[in-house]
Amino acid sequence: MFAVMLREFRLLLRSPALAGLVVLLPLVMIALLSGIFRAGIPTGMAVAVVDLDRSHLSRSVTRMLDAAPELQVTHQALSLSEARALIVSGDVRGAIYLPQGLERDVTRGERPEIVTFYDNQHMSAGSLVARGARNAIDAALAGLRLSIRQGQGEATVQAQVSIQPIALQSHALFNPAFDYVHFLLAALVPTVLQIIAAAGTAYAVSLDFGPGRHPQVLARMAGGVLPAMLGKILPYTCVFLVILGLSDVLLYGLLAVPLRGSLPLMAMGAVMFVLAAQLIGALAFVVTRDMGRAASIIAVITAPAFGFMGLGFPRDAMAPLAQAWGAVIPGTWYVELRIDQSLRATPVDLSLTPLLWLACIAGVLAALMLVQLLRLQRGIKAAS
Amino acid sequence: MKAVLGALLAELRGIFADRQVRLIILAALVIYALVYPFPYRAELLRDVPVVLVDLDRTTSSAELARRVDASEAVALAHDAQDMVQATRLVQERRAYGVLLIPEGFERALLRGRQSPVALYADASYFLMYQRVMQGAAVPLRQLGAEIEMGRLIASGTSADVALAQVSPAAQVEVPLFNPAAGYATYVLPAAFVLILQQSMMMGLALVATRRSTGSGHPVWRVLGRMGAWVAIYALLLPLYLIVLPALYGLPNLGNTGAVLMLGLPFVLATGLLAQCVAALFRRAEVVQVVLLALGLPFFFLSGFAWPVEAIPAHLNSVAQLVPSTPAIDGLVRMTQMGATPSQVAQAFWHLWGLVGAFGLLALWLEISGGHPRSPDTDAIE
Repeated sequence: MFAVMLREFRLLLRSPALAGLVVLLPLVMIALLSGIFRAGIPTGMAVAVVDLDRSHLSRSVTRMLDAAPELQVTHQALSLSEARALIVSGDVRGAIYLPQGLERDVTRGERPEIVTFYDNQHMSAGSLVARGARNAIDAALAGLRLSIRQGQGEATVQAQVSIQPIALQSHALFNPAFDYVHFLLAALVPTVLQIIAAAGTAYAVSLDFGPGRHPQVLARMAGGVLPAMLGKILPYTCVFLVILGLSDVLLYGLLAVPLRGSLPLMAMGAVMFVLAAQLIGALAFVVTRDMGRAASIIAVITAPAFGFMGLGFPRDAMAPLAQAWGAVIPGTWYVELRIDQSLRATPVDLSLTPLLWLACIAGVLAALMLVQLLRLQRGIKAAS
Repeated sequence: MKAVLGALLAELRGIFADRQVRLIILAALVIYALVYPFPYRAELLRDVPVVLVDLDRTTSSAELARRVDASEAVALAHDAQDMVQATRLVQERRAYGVLLIPEGFERALLRGRQSPVALYADASYFLMYQRVMQGAAVPLRQLGAEIEMGRLIASGTSADVALAQVSPAAQVEVPLFNPAAGYATYVLPAAFVLILQQSMMMGLALVATRRSTGSGHPVWRVLGRMGAWVAIYALLLPLYLIVLPALYGLPNLGNTGAVLMLGLPFVLATGLLAQCVAALFRRAEVVQVVLLALGLPFFFLSGFAWPVEAIPAHLNSVAQLVPSTPAIDGLVRMTQMGATPSQVAQAFWHLWGLVGAFGLLALWLEISGGHPRSPDTDAIE
């Protein structure tokens, strides 16, 4: 087996295609992904203001909007239809409508409407606009209410209490900085690595077990088909684990993603995750004996895997069948383990569930592989 | 003309005679279209479970809890004695938020003091966080306003003046497009464009790696191939961008002609890029894996899910070289937001620009005769 492993490492050094796939490609992907999200929380979404009042109040609301970190007032639109056209063409992400007579109606107690229109097709940007505008307008109105009470002779401190009888203190659990970059990266890197580990392993296996190749030579060298296959797979396990480790150094070191959990648990999960992903690839090849078909199987399983992890749309809200499909993909559990043990500071006993799932998936895949190898062995014996 | 036709037919043969290419282009369509949208079928989050920690246990705190529970977004699914117990429920993912009503909540309200309430929302899930905040903040604010009004009226202010003082202006939020904030409606129109691009690139690059040098002038050869892609994707593109979205019940505000007009340079640019990718990586296996791995980065680079404002400038300029970047933007604006062709003119010319650039590159590759080696010639023995 070690002879096969050594041969594999030498192969890796000699073959640019192989080295490119299993070493260069994942490194480039990790650099690309962390590059995309490096800026952190999106800020400065362009918005238009439709100020039909042009009063002291409307100008102060506009100033508040521009001061909100989420927003940047880039356009002054003269009408709602103009604002809408700006949103549709993508010049702005939203528009705030300040009606004519705003200031007058406020002082008369007629409760005019301030309307925020936002582009909810681009939901991530749109909800930022809605939140930024809501807070800015709230702040502007609170200032107004405060000054009315002060005008009636109420002390500032008392007035502040009066305008908000119930004070809501909101806390963002596990993510106080409200930074989704950590979560996205913690999930995207394994997702891409899962694709590469499966496909890369399938490719490496195809070089010796494919049509026209001679697996029996390898089997003789290793003393059996099983050690031969292990010798093919394990070198890449090491490569992928090193790459995963490097990405962790980048994530938890350079990008300062908090690490509030058990490292041994994460390491155990990583080993099982990489093995399971590799086994998907190796199995896909051994079953189809054709790299093209194997690649299609791998694509179907690993390419849409990100959606099933539930980072965007939560797993709990998915249909049962979609939850089940997600549950048999190793990445789902590895990402859960990773996020739990790094960001959510989950107690160790709760993280045993994803670990157990990973072990089960890897176990089932290994058993299937064993069955295939036994078949292969019989084939080789019959041939010789 | 004959050379163009010959190249066209040769490309069609290359696509349909190769089982692997057929598998990618046709099977990938069916499976991707079924598997990919699968997680998002539920569309909306309702009644997100939240833990109630009521340390006050008074009529006021019960009223507050009742109002929060009644909201569409959240449900107070669990009662906990303290924060430790509540946090555990959140860590188990059995709940996504904690509403903590401290002791003395009612007393403070009755005495006219400010009465604090704490809301802990699980911020590891963006959508859950939003729903929990929405579900709790709105009823809380309402209750607060009612109390302030009650106090004002009790002190002799007339009701309408009190209302104006409590809330001098009404704040209305109107989501344009995707008004129900459905997740499928949000993500699928963009994802279908990307899936179309990736499967097309994979298939056509595969054909390119396996093609032997054709006859005739290189210009006619490239033109002929482009004709073949247009012929095939004249069927596949409407399937991805019109039929599939319709099957998933997504809105379609664009007219078919306009979609096809934008689709044409998208198909050509993608096909030509596939030629360059094939020449760069040469081996079919490598091309497939690289394109598989690039799917997600391309999606985030397109500036759709991750706002373009947050993408570093140098990466954003690289992203402009990928056809999906302008195509997703233009097609989503057209089909989901009802943009007129003139409003997506930028995407349109951007795509034609890519066609020109990749076309010249593909032509140069064709002339320099760098036709790819077959995967078996340099196999490792």
